[in-house]
Amino acid sequence: MLVFVSIGFLALIWAAGAAGWTVVRTQDHARWVEHTYEVEQRISSLRVLVERLEVARRGYLLSHHPISKQTFVETIAQEPGLIADVRRLTADNPTQQARIGLVERLVARQFRLQSASMALADRDPAAAITAFDQDSSLGLTRSLRMLTDAMRADENRLLVLRIAAQRDTVRNLFAILTGFGALAIAVAVFSIMVLRRYTRSLVEARDAERTLAAELEDRVRARTYELSRANDEIQRFAYIVSHDLRSPLVNVMGFTGELEAAARPLAALIDRIEAEAPHLMDADAATAAREDLPESIGFIRTSTQKMDRLINAILRLSREGKRVMTPEPIDLPELIDGIVATLQHRLDELGATVTIERPMPGLVADRLAVEQMLSNLIENAVKYLQPGRPGRITLSARANRDRVTIDIADNGRGIDPRDHDRIFDLFRRSGQQDQPGEGIGLAHVRALAYRLGGLIDCRSALGEGATFSLALPAKPAASQG
Amino acid sequence: MNTHQPVNIVMIEDDEGHARLIEKNIRRAGISNDIRHFTDGTSALHYLYHSPDGPALNGPALILLDLNLPDMSGTDILIRIKADDSPLRRTPVIVLTTTDDKVEIQRCYDLGANVYITKPVDYESFATAIRQLGLFLSVIQVPVIEPDA
Repeated sequence: MLVFVSIGFLALIWAAGAAGWTVVRTQDHARWVEHTYEVEQRISSLRVLVERLEVARRGYLLSHHPISKQTFVETIAQEPGLIADVRRLTADNPTQQARIGLVERLVARQFRLQSASMALADRDPAAAITAFDQDSSLGLTRSLRMLTDAMRADENRLLVLRIAAQRDTVRNLFAILTGFGALAIAVAVFSIMVLRRYTRSLVEARDAERTLAAELEDRVRARTYELSRANDEIQRFAYIVSHDLRSPLVNVMGFTGELEAAARPLAALIDRIEAEAPHLMDADAATAAREDLPESIGFIRTSTQKMDRLINAILRLSREGKRVMTPEPIDLPELIDGIVATLQHRLDELGATVTIERPMPGLVADRLAVEQMLSNLIENAVKYLQPGRPGRITLSARANRDRVTIDIADNGRGIDPRDHDRIFDLFRRSGQQDQPGEGIGLAHVRALAYRLGGLIDCRSALGEGATFSLALPAKPAASQG
Repeated sequence: MNTHQPVNIVMIEDDEGHARLIEKNIRRAGISNDIRHFTDGTSALHYLYHSPDGPALNGPALILLDLNLPDMSGTDILIRIKADDSPLRRTPVIVLTTTDDKVEIQRCYDLGANVYITKPVDYESFATAIRQLGLFLSVIQVPVIEPDA
């Protein structure tokens, strides 16, 4: 394509050159035509001069009038100049040069004849007239006439040729100009076509890219919307379930308490029987009242207490999920500084450091939610450091399209890749259970992230630290208000 | 409580177990007033308004109300009792429920609940709370119902 356009433009340049050259040629031809006219004019003048000299001599012979002699002298003075002009102008033409040489000689002979005849006329007019009839001047004049006629004819021939040549070059010029115009139009049309094709493919590519990006964005949005809806559903479900679970639990714990209270007088009775009437003593009854009943009640109690803690955790989580989010601009480094300050004491104890990579992109979101998520993630990083290795926790954030991703990276004990999904589930924990906790923190972080239309992700290998990436919308979507 | 006419305690509670635990602990606080127990809203409302020995037609009463009922919400009963044209609008209503949701508590007080108590899951706390409620019941003054009010 481009090659054709280049060829087109080269042809245009060539055509412009040709047109220019033809214009120069045309001017050349015009000069030659002008030159021929000039030569012709000089030859005619010479012819007139020759005639006038003869007329002047004849007039003098007849009338002896001094005016005629005067005319003769004046006319003869112009002769050498004219001859020289013709010779100079026809320098390129050998035929004309030969002829002008002959003319010069004839003119010189005629001048001699004429001056002799006029001098004789001064002395003896009659003899002069007689001599005139016999001298060869008539023949000379005729020869000069023929010569100048031949020269003029020659020049005329040249003139016709040169005019024809000039017409040809003009015609050529027009042809070249027409061709040039056609070529210019063709090149222009072709160039426009090429440009349009290129532009169209560019526009198509750009549109395609835009559509693709929009589709991707829509898909992400739809996905996060689904996630946040599913999250809402789970929150409601969790609230109802935990609520309804509490009711039977009140009974279990209540009647366990009653049972315990009822077991006490029974145990006292066994003690009294043992003391006052040992023969009534039954070993099984004693074991039941003293050991089995308190043990069973103890297990029921600890289990129900644990269940109560778990239900309360679900309830807290679902209650947090129902909280109205109020987005506001957040200065991330400042917020993280605040979280780190609350942990400073523990960090000093452990000899761990937290690095915050500034600057961080701007974020508009619910401050409390972001603070809780980051604080949970940083606390986890501090909690699960590798013993014997100085803790290094790095926080960084980057903006990517309309999302802000915050990375919390540590060099702690790491998480088995098999557990990467599990750790975000409620009550699920990973690795050695040597730290206190109910397995609620990360579930809480994920629930909040979904709620804000974000995502949480974990990259880690056992013993090699972990990086949690929290991706949040830079601005809340319109539907979230 | 009022000496001239015994105050009936009307307990609207769908959970038999809870009802039994509440009754036990109220009795332990030394309250010997008659306690009528209903496990659903419909029969409770019928008793309150239409029964010949119910509070609307016969004597003062005090209502213990659970919010989670099988046939209607406890708040609906509260709205009925505290309505301007209700003969029982001055009858004390004690909401005794498992819900400790802030919004729910506010709503109940807005609707005219006199006391709101969350049932603690831990039995020690539960028993203490109910016993204290019993002590409270023994000293509060219950208004006399005026049937044409």
